[in-house]
Amino acid sequence: MPNLRVLLEDKPEKRVLLLGNEAIARGALEAGIGVVTTYPGTPASEIADSISEIAADAGLYMEYSINEIVAVEVAAGAASCGVRALTAMKHVGLNVASDMLMTLAYAGVRGGYVIVTADDPECYSSQNEQDNRFYALLSNLPCLEPSNPQEAKDMTITAIEISEKLELPVLLRTTTRVSHTRGPVTYGRLATPNLKGKFVKDVKRLVMVPANSRPKHEVLLRAMERAKEISETSPHNKVVRTSKSKELGIVSSSSAYNYAVEAADLLGLDASILKLGMTHPLPEKMIGEYLKKHQKVIIVEELEPYLEMQIKAIAKDKAPDVDIYGKMSKRYFPKEGELSTRVVAKGLADITGKGLPIDFSEIKEKYDEVSKNLPARPPILCAGCPHRASFYDMRKVVGEKTIFATDIGCYALGIAPPLNVGDIMICMGASIGTAQGISRVTDENTIAIIGDSTFFHAGIPGLINAVYNNHKVVVAVLDNLTTAMTGHQPHPGTGVTGMQSASEKVLIEKIADGCGVKYVRVVDPFKVSETETALKEALQNQGPSVLVFRAPCALVAVREKRSKGIRIEAYKITDKCTNCMACIRLLGCPALTVEEGKVNIDEALCTACGLCISVCPFKAIGGST
Amino acid sequence: MKTDEFNIVLSGVGGQGTLLVAEVLGTAAIKEGLNVRVSEIHGMAQRGGAVVSTVRIGEKVQAPTVLEGQADVLVGFEPIETVRSLRFASEKTAVLMSDERIFPSELAAKKMTYPDMKDIVEKIHRFTGKIIIVETEKLAREAGSTLTQNIVLLGALAATEKVPIKNESLIEAIQELVPAKHVGMNVKAFKLGYEYVKKMKVQA
Repeated sequence: MPNLRVLLEDKPEKRVLLLGNEAIARGALEAGIGVVTTYPGTPASEIADSISEIAADAGLYMEYSINEIVAVEVAAGAASCGVRALTAMKHVGLNVASDMLMTLAYAGVRGGYVIVTADDPECYSSQNEQDNRFYALLSNLPCLEPSNPQEAKDMTITAIEISEKLELPVLLRTTTRVSHTRGPVTYGRLATPNLKGKFVKDVKRLVMVPANSRPKHEVLLRAMERAKEISETSPHNKVVRTSKSKELGIVSSSSAYNYAVEAADLLGLDASILKLGMTHPLPEKMIGEYLKKHQKVIIVEELEPYLEMQIKAIAKDKAPDVDIYGKMSKRYFPKEGELSTRVVAKGLADITGKGLPIDFSEIKEKYDEVSKNLPARPPILCAGCPHRASFYDMRKVVGEKTIFATDIGCYALGIAPPLNVGDIMICMGASIGTAQGISRVTDENTIAIIGDSTFFHAGIPGLINAVYNNHKVVVAVLDNLTTAMTGHQPHPGTGVTGMQSASEKVLIEKIADGCGVKYVRVVDPFKVSETETALKEALQNQGPSVLVFRAPCALVAVREKRSKGIRIEAYKITDKCTNCMACIRLLGCPALTVEEGKVNIDEALCTACGLCISVCPFKAIGGST
Repeated sequence: MKTDEFNIVLSGVGGQGTLLVAEVLGTAAIKEGLNVRVSEIHGMAQRGGAVVSTVRIGEKVQAPTVLEGQADVLVGFEPIETVRSLRFASEKTAVLMSDERIFPSELAAKKMTYPDMKDIVEKIHRFTGKIIIVETEKLAREAGSTLTQNIVLLGALAATEKVPIKNESLIEAIQELVPAKHVGMNVKAFKLGYEYVKKMKVQA
């Protein structure tokens, strides 16, 4: 990974390769943002992670907040004092923060405030692929959509400018292909972050009781009228290509724009292209004029027909004769999954009648043949992962029975065979609540599986509910002492902050105790028999119980050992092995492989966690010495 | 070297270092003033699962992802994963493949065996005749660590003389992106991969 200090270089015009998310971090530095908050989530994580690396040197404040709504609250508090702020989150994070967002739109901000929402078409790392541009419509807030890293940086600065002009938070919406694309970024000048704010009391403006909210709603609507004017003249909304015949136009935004340009080239279309970077509010006059100049207009956008709906409404008033194509009346482009140049080219070809120059069906046919029986390689729990031990311990006690309500994090990978742990999973923190409903109406044991960071994020209210309403559930907190899935960010249990300074460690067992849970135990999942005993006791309990399975993430543990120069001695299969396959059948550890009918330990992967030793009925696995 | 569009697909298993190679290529392209896009997948998609990264260099490039059949080079960090990415290949594609097998856990669970290397090569031949197999583990061991197999492949890629980037820029990018104490080992890995393919070409 690059040395993130490159983000701190004050060299205008310097051209650097940056990840979209790093470009947003650079934009924050060029915009003089003083406060950055986040809850990590793919594909947004690197925005705040980059800032965390350099925050102390850059002279700004950064924090990993407990969850997205608290992240927005902290930043909005700072912005209400005139300090510029940024909050980064993944798309579903904005669901968590939406309560704050909807009314913050009324109260507004004094310092510029940008909320980055990174959407994930294709669900590369997410439980859904919602289109967060609708949050801009819903909350009545401006929204910008970059299509590459350069724009990601530039629009972060634009967002702050617009925010300050209108005194409203501004949404910056990326997608995985913007956030996780590296591309050239030309630097502007660094600004000195201002961290010193002043809270000016103004009850009518900031206290959203009904009497104040009613007039503030009107203020918001008026501000958005001004936002429309900004959108009409914004350099981010522009015709980037004109056509000779003036027949065909293409309107696009975000990652879809890149595919639209390349697909139009692939087909050799004579089409003009209107690129929209500020997509809420839309530049109605500009779009109306554009529609009038064309006979056919194709809207190319990922996920929902967000632009199409609005552009069709504009056309009804301003250009009723233009034919508009997209995904509403006839689905030329899919609403689900991410787009690609191929998918867009196919849609454009269907609309225009142009032939595709590449026979994709022939490629697909040939590819389907060669890949037919190819072994799948889904993401799995790493070798040495303590979650594998936790799941093995649970299976050992409950056998095939028990309903597992699981949650968002690496441990969701427990659904894979042979562990098969995970029967319902919806969103952050939902394991604890759904387990209670299931337990209430069935006779089955229910275990809620939740990670440490997810527990802090959204698990605690559910746990209090279990105590209050006396639900018979076991809450298994799989505490690997980090936010592993998103890149090992710290959390309240780690005793480290986003500024990389020490803080008070918040202990999960103390929280459980404080919530009134009667049975709370901390276990080491690699100590199988002790864990078994605790789990049996917990299951006997008639009310809620909490078991904290505590062992560090294997990736972190191995990295730490390596940096200290400690050699990891992989375990070996001894000649006592009968190839009974118990270890293979029960664990699904990637370090355990079968080659020519014989069990083998991959020494490059083995972390010497020792779980397979507890499993082997013939004591045929041992240390190398 | 000016180019309209040059597409590289890097296909492997999470943890093999495809992202580092992609970043080295991207950084080197910037050094030469070229336009470039690199696509990456993080998070859930990474944990020992199949990963594909793409590097696109050239004036016309906008999207980070490569169109089916349009890879100029497909770098397979693992044989099964090379086959999995063949949809990006066509007769114009040069395939560079590591012989290092990483056993998918499905094999043991379903009592399947790893596909025969001969079959894998045959499958690749259905798309393109241009294939080079690199003994990455052996070369990486020689360089000082099996963890440098990714850079061995990068050296091998440079030796094909297809990528529109100079060796010096690639080595400079390695020096910038790899932790200082591992630079020597990685530069050696690059050179070993480079020489391996050069020698092979002379023999051919």
